[in-house]
Amino acid sequence: MLKVVDVCKRVEGHGEVRILLQNDEVLSVNLEFEIYRGFENFLIGKNLFDIPKIISRICGLCYASQTIASCKTIEDIYNIEVSEHNILLRRLLMSAELIKSHSMNFFFQTLPDLLTIFNLSQKTFSPYELIKYYPQLTTSLYDLIKVGNEINELFGGRSVHLISLVPGGVIYSPSRKSITLARKYFQKALVILEWIIEKFIQLFANQTPPKEFDLPKFISLALTNYGNYDRYSGSLRFKENNKNFIEFEKQNYSTYFGKEINLRGIDFYFENEKNVIVGPFSRFNIVENYGIDEIPTYLDYFNKSWKNNILFTNFIRLLEMYIESYQGLQILDNPSLNIREKLPSLNSIKNLDGIGVIEAPRGVLIHHYHLNKSNYVDRINLFIATEFNLSLINDMITKYAQELFERTGDINLVKKKIQMIIRAFDPCISCATH
Amino acid sequence: MKPRFILISLTSCTGCISTLMSLDIFPQFLERTRIIYFPFISDAKDIKECEIALVEGCVSEETQIILLRKVRRHAKKVFALGTCACFGGILSLSNSKIAEPLSNYIEVDGIIPGCPPPSKLFGNSVIRLVENKDITLSEKNMCANCPIWEKMEINFQINITKINPNPEEISLNEENSECFLKKGILCLGPITRDGCEHKCIKMGLPCEGCMGPVSKDFTSNVINFLSLIELSQELKDYTGIFYRFSKPKMKR
Repeated sequence: MLKVVDVCKRVEGHGEVRILLQNDEVLSVNLEFEIYRGFENFLIGKNLFDIPKIISRICGLCYASQTIASCKTIEDIYNIEVSEHNILLRRLLMSAELIKSHSMNFFFQTLPDLLTIFNLSQKTFSPYELIKYYPQLTTSLYDLIKVGNEINELFGGRSVHLISLVPGGVIYSPSRKSITLARKYFQKALVILEWIIEKFIQLFANQTPPKEFDLPKFISLALTNYGNYDRYSGSLRFKENNKNFIEFEKQNYSTYFGKEINLRGIDFYFENEKNVIVGPFSRFNIVENYGIDEIPTYLDYFNKSWKNNILFTNFIRLLEMYIESYQGLQILDNPSLNIREKLPSLNSIKNLDGIGVIEAPRGVLIHHYHLNKSNYVDRINLFIATEFNLSLINDMITKYAQELFERTGDINLVKKKIQMIIRAFDPCISCATH
Repeated sequence: MKPRFILISLTSCTGCISTLMSLDIFPQFLERTRIIYFPFISDAKDIKECEIALVEGCVSEETQIILLRKVRRHAKKVFALGTCACFGGILSLSNSKIAEPLSNYIEVDGIIPGCPPPSKLFGNSVIRLVENKDITLSEKNMCANCPIWEKMEINFQINITKINPNPEEISLNEENSECFLKKGILCLGPITRDGCEHKCIKMGLPCEGCMGPVSKDFTSNVINFLSLIELSQELKDYTGIFYRFSKPKMKR
C-alpha cells in the first residue's frame, strides 16, 4: 500500500490530504490535521469569566463567534438574559467578522480556483499576481476586509481576539463618531458587494459547474429564527432534500449528535450520518426568508445545476456579506444601540450545565460546559463547524479521487483537484484543531 | 531586488497571519516583496532561499522542529511573529502539550509580540523588515505610559483578590481613574512590555500580559512583582495567571 501526503494550500490552518493507493487504485482520501491543541482539556478548572478570552484564541478568524458562543454558554449557566443593546453590539461584531472572513476566503483562497475551473485563466497565481490580475476587484475586496477589520476594532477594541466581549454583554457604549464611521463602512460594503455580485453573475451564471463539485445526498444543519436568516438566536434545524425538516432547541442536541471529548469528528444518531453539512450552503438551504428583496432575485440568476454544487457557496458568501452589511446598517439606526447601561451582575449560578449556540461564518458552533458541585468547570465540549463537515468532505474527495485516478492515473492531478473541493468548503482548521 | 519572504504557521490560531493580511499595508507588502512560501494564500510548494522568514505559532509537534530548522537554513533572518512564536503562547496553559517558543530550537533574529501583535507596531515592523531595518520594541513596561496609572506605592502590600472584574464593575476609559492593582484586581502591566496602546485597559479590563515580558528574565520580574502584592489564597491556587502566555524557564 502506498500513502501519498500533500500539504493543503490556500486553506486556513495546517491540513494535509492523505491518499491511500493499492494496486493502482485509490482506497481512501482523508483530510487530516496533524495538530491537536487540547482546549477542552486545559480549560477544565478555569474561572468561568476567564474562559471566553482564552477560548477566543482557538481561532484568529472565528474569534468573535467563539467568544460569543462562550459568553452565551456562561449566561445559560447564570440563567441571565442579555439586553437588546448588548445583542445588537454582538451582532455587529459577528457581521464584521463574517465580512472579513468571507472576503479573505473568496479573494485569496477560492477565486484562483474559480478562474481555473471555468477557464478564465489557467495561471497558478502568486499572491501579488492575483492582486494585479484585476485591480478593481482587488481594491474592492481589500476594502471589504478593511470594513470587517475596522468595525471589529471600533466596537471590539481590537481587530482579532476582541476585548469588549464579556459574559453578560459588551463593554462599550458606542460614541456618535464610531456609529457614523461604522455606517460609512457598511454603506461602502453594500456598494462594493452589489458590484461584485453582479460581476459574479455575469461571469458564472450562464456556466454549468463541474459535476465533481456536486454534493451527494446531504442533510443541512443551521440555526434559524423561524426560517429567517439569523446567526445569533433561534433554534437548530435539520433539513433533508430541501423538503422535510426537524427543528429542535439547543438543549436537545444530544438526541441527534454527540462527540467524544478530545476526539475529532461528530457522531450523528440517524441514518445517512455521513452527509451532514453546515455553513453558508446549509444556511442557504434552511433559510426561507432573508428579509431583503434583492436576495431571491440574485439567486434566480443561477439554474438548478448550481444549487446542488458546492461551488455555489462562493456566491452565497457574497450574498451573506451583502445581507449582513444591510443588517449592520439597520442595527446602527436602532435607538437601543445608544442606551448606556451597566452590565448585569453574574452572582449566582443557576444551572450546572450551559449550552451556547451560534452560527459562525463557517457554520454551527456549539459550546457545552458542565460544572461540578463546587461550581468549577469539569467538562467542556466544543462542536466546531469544520468537524461537522469533515465526513462529507472526505466522502466527496475519496469518490472524486477514485474516479479521476482511474481515468488519468495522474496522482498530481488528483492532489490538485481534490484540494479545490476542500477549499470550496472553506474549512477552518484552526477551529477544528482546538 | 525585492526581498524574498517566507511566512509559515506552526501551532497557532492563524490570528497573526490574518492580522497581517488585514493591515492597510498588506497589498503594498505583497508589491514590495517576493513571496517564496506562504501556504495560507499561495500554491508555492517549496521552502527556498529567502531574506526573511516570519513564523507564527509555537512548536508543539516533532515535525515542526524539522520544518523550523529547514526554514532557518534557508532564511537570512527569522522573526517570531506573535506571542506563541515569541514565548509559547496560550498553549502554555496545557499540561499535556508542549508549547515552546521558536528560540528553544533555532536562533531568532527578532520578535513581533502580541496576541495578536498590535496593528500599529505590526505595520511599522513589517515596513522596517521590507526596508532591511531592524525591529524596534519598547523597553518600558505597560505602566510607563498607562492612561490610568498613578504612582504605585510600594511600601505597602496590595491585596489582590481577583483576576477579572465582575461584569457589573467594569468601567469605561473615561470613568476609569484608579489603578487596577489598587482595586485588588491583578493587572500584569508592571511586568508586561508596552506597545499595545493599552487597549484592554482602555476597555476597563486589566492587562493579561499578552505582549510578553519586558526583560529576558521574566521569572525574576514575576518574583519581584509578587513581593509587592499579596495574592488571595484562591488566586494562589489558580494556575495560568502569570504564565498564561509562556511557561517558566523558556529561552527568550
